Amino acid sequence: MSTSRQLPYLGFGLGLRVDHYETLIDEPGNVQWLEIVSENYLVPGGRPLRWLEGFRERFPLVMHGVSMSIGGTDPLDMAYLDQLAALARHVEPAWISDHLCWTGVQGVNLHDLMPLPYTEEALQHVVDRVRRVQDRLGRRILLENVSSYISFAQSQLTEWEFLAAVAERADCLILLDINNVHVSAHNHGFAALDYLDGLPASRVQQFHLAGHERGGELLIDTHDAPVVDAVWDLYVEAVRRYGRVSTMIERDDHIPPLAELLAELEHARSLADALLQEAA
Amino acid sequence: MSDLRDLQLQLADAMLAGGTPLSGALRGDAKADASNRLAIYQHGYRIRLREALATEFPGLALLAGRRFARLLDDYVAAHPSTHFNIRWHGDGLAGFLMRTAPWRDRPELAEMAQLDWAISTAFDAADQATVSAADLAGLAPDAWAALRLHPLPHARLLRCTSNVDAFRRAADRGEPRPALRRWRRARHLLVWRPALDVRYRQVTVAELPALLGALNGDSFAQLCERLAQRHGVAALPRMAALLAQWLDERLIGRLTLPGATTM
Repeated sequence: MSTSRQLPYLGFGLGLRVDHYETLIDEPGNVQWLEIVSENYLVPGGRPLRWLEGFRERFPLVMHGVSMSIGGTDPLDMAYLDQLAALARHVEPAWISDHLCWTGVQGVNLHDLMPLPYTEEALQHVVDRVRRVQDRLGRRILLENVSSYISFAQSQLTEWEFLAAVAERADCLILLDINNVHVSAHNHGFAALDYLDGLPASRVQQFHLAGHERGGELLIDTHDAPVVDAVWDLYVEAVRRYGRVSTMIERDDHIPPLAELLAELEHARSLADALLQEAA
Repeated sequence: MSDLRDLQLQLADAMLAGGTPLSGALRGDAKADASNRLAIYQHGYRIRLREALATEFPGLALLAGRRFARLLDDYVAAHPSTHFNIRWHGDGLAGFLMRTAPWRDRPELAEMAQLDWAISTAFDAADQATVSAADLAGLAPDAWAALRLHPLPHARLLRCTSNVDAFRRAADRGEPRPALRRWRRARHLLVWRPALDVRYRQVTVAELPALLGALNGDSFAQLCERLAQRHGVAALPRMAALLAQWLDERLIGRLTLPGATTM
């Protein structure tokens, strides 16, 4: 079983969004790599693929999907996986990621990242599907922890125990969304540091940083606001535990001018640099 | 059935039906009970589909006005999404509006949805080179009769009885809502993408038979015959003028001659 990351360290990047196409391609600033949402480019042609070609020439890319439904109980969508593989042949991403969740059942797509019950049955089910996906794609994938608002009475494991076990048993890697850890820790009342302590450091390949909003007593993962201080603090703790990990800012709504995200990215870089220089 | 599948079926049902949470399966606490926690997903499902469809149907949003959200909710309730790409849920909207009360009583809604969707699907349709006048320059005079002019595969001809194109134009330009005009005789709109930008325009009565023929795969001689029914001996110069227009608009994607390879 492989236990090292093996994939390259890419530095500090951004989630690629249409609003920033023109600015980013002309003035990339301190952006070292880009994460594309795979589904946006699973199209026959036209402007999306033309832009993608331009970014592919200028940046290392990674592919991030929302449709694998790795925890789903419908059969794996092989047509989707084959489209993903075809896009990967063209894009040559450093890696491909999706989420530790399910997105639909009985052919209906809920278009949401639905959490799983953390049971032995679900664990074995996900491990089996990750292995099959990795075989189909011919590469290891990264799975991202999702924000959640519900939890299940039947869960026997913590979320981090479940994620760690999936990664170890299926030999996949982890995309750790620091904001999602913070949001879920608040919503379910666990300690975010326990989460970080519980993951195998060698399998954490990528960080997401993002914002959220408050909905009553719960936090809602909206990706529509700047990263909050508590998430920056947690990011520092993650760097302390996992070292230099490819990090990016993810903004999906209320997209600000690029300069605002570049400033957040620079902040992430300075926090990581300060900590790692101190440790060296 | 596995426990996991059973749980997912129950949860999906509760989300789509907007009902109460599964008894005992979900945990609640002092922050929020299970019902309020599930409501976040129920609300998110509806809002996400609304937002995705609003992006694909800007003309319909302008035309339907305040009723747009209810229209989308009715559609989503009747037709759960089945495609992994949320955008593709728009594929059935025009048909739903055509068939379903009360929306079917306003046919301009379905016509608008058809136009929006044709534009949306043309936007990222497969790239294809278009035919130019130079491609036709070397054609032998006796080959013209059998020549077939194939419009770009994504091109769509839409029949409509109202000025839905004016609504789409206004939506694209951020202009105020135009007045709705209904026509006694149906008109046709052509949607196609010559390069990267999608175009649409009205088709004239004189052009329609030839365009229908070209989309049908008719030969050049058959296109002329279609025009001759209306224009007699003037059919050939009219067809020549139309051909020049189509080439200029970069509408023709391929030429074929029976027994020969694609030109």
